[in-house]
Amino acid sequence: MKEVVKKLTRYERARIVGARALQISMGAPTLIESNTTDPIDMALEELKKGVIPITIKRRGTPR
Amino acid sequence: MYKKAKLIDTVRLPPERLGEETIAVLKDLLRDKLEGRIDKMLGSIIAVTDVLDIGEGRILAGDGAIYYDVTFNAITFKPELQEILEGKVVEIVEFGAFVGLGPLDGLLHVSQIADDYISYDEKNARLVGKETGRAIAEGDMLRARIVAVSLNEREPRESKIGLTMRQAALGKVEWLAEARDKAKKEEEEQNARTSV
Repeated sequence: MKEVVKKLTRYERARIVGARALQISMGAPTLIESNTTDPIDMALEELKKGVIPITIKRRGTPR
Repeated sequence: MYKKAKLIDTVRLPPERLGEETIAVLKDLLRDKLEGRIDKMLGSIIAVTDVLDIGEGRILAGDGAIYYDVTFNAITFKPELQEILEGKVVEIVEFGAFVGLGPLDGLLHVSQIADDYISYDEKNARLVGKETGRAIAEGDMLRARIVAVSLNEREPRESKIGLTMRQAALGKVEWLAEARDKAKKEEEEQNARTSV
């Protein structure tokens, strides 16, 4: 099977940003330099830069 | 019996430790979680020696931590019924002697020490046999058989191991050496007599 990098759905995006923001708020080291102090903004910025080491495992029937 | 076991367990890696080297942190966490714990099947877990595989981490909803299914090697000690062990006496009490068997202590009850009437010598912290005069004191090396095992997973200190020495080839190591010497001497005498 060919490996296709699909765009994240908005739900997946929310899940990743949510998880990452929680990690940052719980004291995880950040992966980028940023001026913001809000973990959610920080997570969003990290996602935009594509540095978050989290992948989504899609289960169930594909669309 | 001591065993080396290959085990799999789930470990929670808290986010504040994400910056560190994953395998080292997981080994650390596994040690904290398991070492000193008692399991009904494995016995007492003594040490986590090395981490073999950490698999893929999972992030559960509502918790920023990552959960890893870690495969690792560990050293365990499980007291098995009928197993013969040697150990040092760690404490003498009125009703018997506590024998250190490694990570756990076993109880050798007065009634299980020898085929003799055993009395407790409180002043010298010894248990003395009435007829033989043989005594057991703290620090003595004993060879005993496990006759009862009751492991408590929740309270490792509440685990109980029952021992006996009222069988052939069991007892204080000095008694065993004595018996061996005696048997050897008798055999030599026998040989001397037959050769005449």
